[in-house]
Amino acid sequence: MDAIELTQISIDYGARSVMANLTVRLNRGNVMVVTGQNGSGKSSLLRVVCGLQRPSAGQVRFIAGDQAVAPAEARQQIGWMAPDLMLYRELTGLENLRFFADVRGLGIPDAELNALLERVGLYGRGADVVATYSSGMTHRLRYAYALLHRPTVLLLDEPSVMLDQRGHELLEAVVAQQRMIGLTIIATNDPREQRFADVLIRLEGSA
Amino acid sequence: MGERLAMTAKISLGLAMSGIIYAMFLVVPQYVGLGEAGRIIIVHVPTAWVTSAAFAVSAVFSILYLRSRSGLHDASAVAAAEVGTLFCLFATVTGAIFAQVVWGTFWNWDPRETSILVLLLIYAAYFALRSSVDDVPRKRRLAAVYNIFACVTMPFLMFVAPRIADSTLHPNCAFLQGSKCEGISLDLNGAKIGQLGDVVVELKAVQKQGDMTSATVEVRMPGLTDTADLIPTFDNAGQPADRPEFPGQSFRMILIEADVPAGTARVNIQAPGTGLLSNQRTLWVFMASNLTFGFLALWLYRIRATILHVTSLVQTTEAL
Amino acid sequence: MSKSLLWRATKAVFVRELRSEFRSRQALNAVALFAVCSIVAVSLGLGPLNRSAELPLVHAALLWIVLLFAAFTALARVFVVEEEQRTAAALRLAAPPHAVYLGKLLFNLLLLCALTVLVAVLAIVLLRMQVRSPGPFVVLLVTGALGLVAGTTLIAAMIARAASRGALFAVLSFPILIPMLVTAVRGTALALSGTGWDRCMAPIQTLIAYAVAMFVTSLFLFAYVWED
Repeated sequence: MDAIELTQISIDYGARSVMANLTVRLNRGNVMVVTGQNGSGKSSLLRVVCGLQRPSAGQVRFIAGDQAVAPAEARQQIGWMAPDLMLYRELTGLENLRFFADVRGLGIPDAELNALLERVGLYGRGADVVATYSSGMTHRLRYAYALLHRPTVLLLDEPSVMLDQRGHELLEAVVAQQRMIGLTIIATNDPREQRFADVLIRLEGSA
Repeated sequence: MGERLAMTAKISLGLAMSGIIYAMFLVVPQYVGLGEAGRIIIVHVPTAWVTSAAFAVSAVFSILYLRSRSGLHDASAVAAAEVGTLFCLFATVTGAIFAQVVWGTFWNWDPRETSILVLLLIYAAYFALRSSVDDVPRKRRLAAVYNIFACVTMPFLMFVAPRIADSTLHPNCAFLQGSKCEGISLDLNGAKIGQLGDVVVELKAVQKQGDMTSATVEVRMPGLTDTADLIPTFDNAGQPADRPEFPGQSFRMILIEADVPAGTARVNIQAPGTGLLSNQRTLWVFMASNLTFGFLALWLYRIRATILHVTSLVQTTEAL
Repeated sequence: MSKSLLWRATKAVFVRELRSEFRSRQALNAVALFAVCSIVAVSLGLGPLNRSAELPLVHAALLWIVLLFAAFTALARVFVVEEEQRTAAALRLAAPPHAVYLGKLLFNLLLLCALTVLVAVLAIVLLRMQVRSPGPFVVLLVTGALGLVAGTTLIAAMIARAASRGALFAVLSFPILIPMLVTAVRGTALALSGTGWDRCMAPIQTLIAYAVAMFVTSLFLFAYVWED
C-alpha cells in the first residue's frame, strides 16, 4: 500500500455530527497522528478507515502504485487495534492468534506465532486463556492481533493506554518497523506519541 | 399541467370507487347458494391481489435499496409494505366474514387463509425489526435483507402447503387457469386418513348400490367438536350425485372417483361460489374493481413513499 | 477468494465455536435443559394418550414445537455472543463473510442435530411416541433440522445487531419457518404412523428444497448483514 486518501469524510451519529468534510492524504513510510478531545471522533475515523463503519459521506481510497485497491482486498492489509477490540476470552493467547491466522488464510507456523507473542511481551503466557490476562497483557495481545498478518496499513487507537514503560518501548519499535513497510495512523492524546507524527490532525469535535 | 392531471386522476379514482360500490350492491346479480354475501367477492379478491402485488413491489425496492443505498428506495419499500398490510388486513377481514356467512366458519386453515396470515406475520415482523434498530443505515439494510429473505419463502407457501393440505374452500378453479383442486385420495388398504382443510377424513368403505357408487367417510371436525359419517355418491356417468354437508357447516363433500375392488376413493370439498364469474355482469364489475383497487393502492403508496422520504431528508438536514 | 482458503477459514470458525462451546458449555447445557423441561411439561400435561388415528399427528406436532422453541433459544447464540463479548469487530476485520456464515451454520447444525436426537429419544421414552417407519423418520428429522438451521442462521446474524434480541429472533424467524414446519410435522406424522418411503418422499423433497433455497439466499444476503 503506497497511500491512503480520505476525501470529504463526514461522520454523524443520528442527529449529531462528529466530523465534517475531512480530507487528507497519507503516504507510505509516514505516520499520521490524530488528536482531539474525547468524543471528537478519533476512534470513529480509524473505524471508517478499516471499514468497520461507513462514513455518512465521503470516501476512503487505498492506493498501490498509482492504482486504487478494492476495499475487500485492502482489508487484508489493514491491522487495527483499539481498547474496545476484544479477543476470545475462553481461548488461550496462542489459540486466538492461530484462529485469526487461519481465517485470514495464512499458514503461520507455531514458532512464528510464539515469536510474535514474545515480541509483544507475552512470552510464556501463550498457553493461558485470555480471561486470566491483566488489562495490560490483553492490550499487548491486541498488538499481536494487529501485527499478525504483517499489515501495510496499521491503525492504532490509544496504543499505550494500559501499558507500562516497557510497553511504550514496544510501541516505538512497532512504529519504527511500520515506517519501513507501510503507513501508520495513531489516534491518541498522549504527547509522547504525538512525536511520531509526520502528519498531525487535530479534531475539533462537534460544536 | 401536472397538478391538473393529478386532480383529474384523484377525482376519477373517487368516481370509480363509488361506481364499484354501487355496482357491487345493485348491478351484480345474486349468486345461487351464496345469497347477498357473494357480493363481497368484488372487494375481497382485488384487495387480496393488491396485497400480493404490494409485497412483490416491496421486495423489489428492497433489492434496489441494497444496490443503491438510496433513501428513496427504502422509503418506497416501506410504503409498499404499509399499503400491503392495510389491504392484507382488509382482505383477511372481508374473507373471514364471507367465510362465516357462506361456509359457516370464520377460519378454516385453508391454504390461502394460511398464506395471507403468514403474509401478515411477515409484515408485522418487518415493522418490529425496523423499530428495534436505531442506526438508520443499518435499520434500512437489515429490513431490506429480511424482506428479500421472507419473499423467498413465499413460493413454498403458495405451492407446497396447498399440496399437503390438498384442498381448499376457495373456488380457485374459477379464477386461476391451471390451478388444481384435486381433493384427496384415500385408500382402504393404505392411507385411509387425510385432511380436507382442517377437517380430518377417514375412509370407512367403498361400495356399489345399483348404478350408484358411494363411499362412507368419517369426518372429524377440528377439535373433535363433531364427527359424522358422510356418504357421498356418484352416478354411473361419473358425475357426483349426493353431496352431504359437513356437520355444522355449509360446505359439502363430493365423491370424484372411486374404485370398489381396489378400495380407493377420491373426495373433495365443494363450497358454494364455484363458477361465480361466469356471469358477464359480475365479471366486468370484478375486473373494474381490480383496476380501481390497484390504482387506489398505487395512489396511497405514492403519497406514503413521498412523505417517508421527505421526513427522512428533513431529519438528516436538521442534524447538520 | 479461492475455494481452499474459504474452506480453511470456515473450518477455523467452526472449530473455534466448538472449542469455545466445549470450554463454557453454555449453549448445550441451557438448551438440553430447556428440551428436557418442555418434553416433561408436555408429558405431564397430557398424561397417557389414548391410541387413536390422530396420535401420530399429535406426537409429530409436539415434537416439532419443542424443537422449534429449543432452536429459538439456541441458534441465535453464535452471533449474539460475538456482539455481547465485542469480538465481532476482530472477526469482521479478519475473516471473509462467507466463512463466518458457513462456520456458524455448521456449528448450529451440529447443535440442532444433537438437540434433535435428545428430543426424539425423550419423546419416545416419556411421551411413548411410537416410530413405525424409523428410516423415513430419521431422514425427515435430519432434513427438517437442515431447513430450521438454514432458515434461522441469517436471522440470528440480523438480530445480533438489534435491540430486544431474544423476542425479535422468534418474531422474525417464525413466519419464515412456517412452510418448513408444516411440511415437517405432516411428514413426521406419516413416518410415525408407519407410512413407507414412497409417500414420505414428497415432504422430504420439499424440506430439502426449502433448506437449499434458504441457504443460497442467505449466502447472497449475509454480506449485507455482516458488513459493519
